[in-house]
Amino acid sequence: MNGSHLPSWCLSCRLLCSASDQTASVSSQSSLRLSPVLSLHSLSDMGFTESQAGQLFDSVSRLKGASAAKHVLSTLTVLFVLGLNPTSVQKLIDKCPELCMVKETQLQQRIQHLRKLGLVEGSLQRTVVHYPKILTVPVKSVKNVVQFLREKCQFTTQQVTEILRDSPAVVLEDLDQLEYKFQYVYFRMGIKQAEMVKCRLFRFTMEDVRCRHVFLERRGLYQTPDKKGQTTIINPKLDSILNVDQHTFIVDVAQASAEEYDVFQKLLAREWKEEELEHGSIEADSDEEEDDEGEEPDGKSGYKKKKKR
Amino acid sequence: MALFLETSTVLLRRIKDIRPLTAKRHRVKGKWATTLPKHPPTRLALQHFDATYSAQLGDLWPSVRVALLSERKYGALLNNFCHSPDLEELQAQGSAPLRLHQAGLWPLAAVNKAPQGETIWSEFWSIMPDKFGLLSYYLMDAASVLPSLALDVQANHTVLDLCAAPGGKALALLQTQSARFLCLNDSSVSRTSRLKRVLHSYAPKELLTDDKLRITSVDGTMWGEIERNSFDRVLVDVPCTTDRHSLMEDDNNMFSRSRVGERRSLPRLQAELLLAGIIAACPGGEVLYSTCTLCPSQNLGVVERAVQLAEENHGIRLQVVSLRPLVRMFQNTFHFAPDLHLGEMVVPHLAANFGPIYMCKIRRLA
Ligand SMILES: C[S@@+](CC[C@H](N)C(=O)[O-])C[C@H]1O[C@@H](n2cnc3c(N)ncnc32)[C@H](O)[C@@H]1O
Repeated sequence: MNGSHLPSWCLSCRLLCSASDQTASVSSQSSLRLSPVLSLHSLSDMGFTESQAGQLFDSVSRLKGASAAKHVLSTLTVLFVLGLNPTSVQKLIDKCPELCMVKETQLQQRIQHLRKLGLVEGSLQRTVVHYPKILTVPVKSVKNVVQFLREKCQFTTQQVTEILRDSPAVVLEDLDQLEYKFQYVYFRMGIKQAEMVKCRLFRFTMEDVRCRHVFLERRGLYQTPDKKGQTTIINPKLDSILNVDQHTFIVDVAQASAEEYDVFQKLLAREWKEEELEHGSIEADSDEEEDDEGEEPDGKSGYKKKKKR
Repeated sequence: MALFLETSTVLLRRIKDIRPLTAKRHRVKGKWATTLPKHPPTRLALQHFDATYSAQLGDLWPSVRVALLSERKYGALLNNFCHSPDLEELQAQGSAPLRLHQAGLWPLAAVNKAPQGETIWSEFWSIMPDKFGLLSYYLMDAASVLPSLALDVQANHTVLDLCAAPGGKALALLQTQSARFLCLNDSSVSRTSRLKRVLHSYAPKELLTDDKLRITSVDGTMWGEIERNSFDRVLVDVPCTTDRHSLMEDDNNMFSRSRVGERRSLPRLQAELLLAGIIAACPGGEVLYSTCTLCPSQNLGVVERAVQLAEENHGIRLQVVSLRPLVRMFQNTFHFAPDLHLGEMVVPHLAANFGPIYMCKIRRLA
């Protein structure tokens, strides 16, 4: 143990030491949370370097609650069994320490379930490393999302697997939101499932998708296909709308200026906030007169309207 | 309802508001789901504009299009006659409204320049009247004051506003108090009474007396039979396709199927109104023609035709007056169309979402 001076390391080191009874002066409160069997020794036995072990302790100690990290050892074991190396495991726990709170049997069930959904060896590991949170989601919730994608959106089994692999965060998305996003792209943009999967649609937020699409649409560069799937202009591909950085999108795809898009984003956000407020509320007609120039409401009528309420 | 036949039997379109560009009217009331017509007038208007304006404006059209289809910006025409703390409040809230200078010198050029999206005008709609019952500002497209400014009314002028209702431009004219006599006309009786209401809400009674103001409701094309060669200034702000309205509201829309005839005859009506305005002006007097459309056949086309008719049928010679000085004054506030061979035009742009306004000024020589 030569002097690595990283403070985190020092702290963890001391915690470890106290667990193995050397320096009694150190408060042992934190160390109590850790599993008694978890020691520097056991971690290095597992193949972690000293600094990795220190970082692991750091991550785990971020968890709140007395028995938070109860399952840390079994979790590490499961991840090793999955075939991950110590470096990946350490990073993964750092990203998602909550995994240490999950029971071993549950973890195994969840991994098994992902395999059943078609994530083959290799993909499975990559997905877990990239988005460890997926293992905190109950099998039942994942099933719901999968069923939803299959039945409501008509993705094929193969496509669902690809979605899980490329955009695993869908498992935590609200189903209504997900449905909205799908239907928006399907009906408004006229895009089929295969293309959605290819472009990794579910990686993008609804706001991004909508903002870019509506901007193009209002500029006259995107049309909703008619019943026969036809448009009078050639729509840009979904891929070239989504999978490019903002500058490229503005300049090459929308042929606009950054200033315009900047203003547009703000305007659209406001439009939608307003619509959400109005959503579903059917208001009675106000006694408006015909109005050529649209300069209503002038101060007067606005005042009257307010007073009436 | 689903778009794609092959899957339509199973894919249920559940989320209702995934609609294409829909008129505001429909969106607000939520009745589009059942009654949205197949070809709503707003849609027809868009198709029409796409065909004509893309040819006319070229590369500029996409920018104008997205601006027209997005939330417009308003300007607040501050009421010089109102004594109300609202005004200071309005300025404190970060908008720099347009105030017309009392002395008839033109504006303290200050239209709202704050970045789009920061000021929510609807919050201001509940303005309170001052102790005399006058309202503190009039909300309008800021570019709509340009025709009133361009008219350049001088002290002791007599002014005719041939199509005056609901009164935004007349109000702007009134603000400067320079005209000796103001004659406001609009053929629509209901709109004329609205004009009267507006005036009484914004101007003190002393300015609305019979010796200073006359309000009529006659067909403007017949004005020549009433009064010829008499006004120093004539504003001819004609009915037109009102591009913004046509794109956003299905109600009272010029592009509805039932109004095809009316729409097609607009240029003729506009030319007749302008001609009547020309005849009503005195020799040496000036006429300002304005619309809120980008359509060339309602703009320069009309001016050319009216000028020709005036010369051929009435022996009136006219001269175009340049509006360049005005354009230069406001070029940081509005987007003006480049290279118009006759008149000037404010084109909407997201960063300055005002207009469209077309203006052309002509002087009567004899
Ligand atoms: C663009 S609006 C005028 C807006 C007004 N100048 C303002 O700033 O508030 C056109 C007006 O022309 C009126 N109008 C239509 N045909 C007319 C005619 N033949 N003679 C006079 N006015 C007419 C309409 O009633 C409408 O109020």
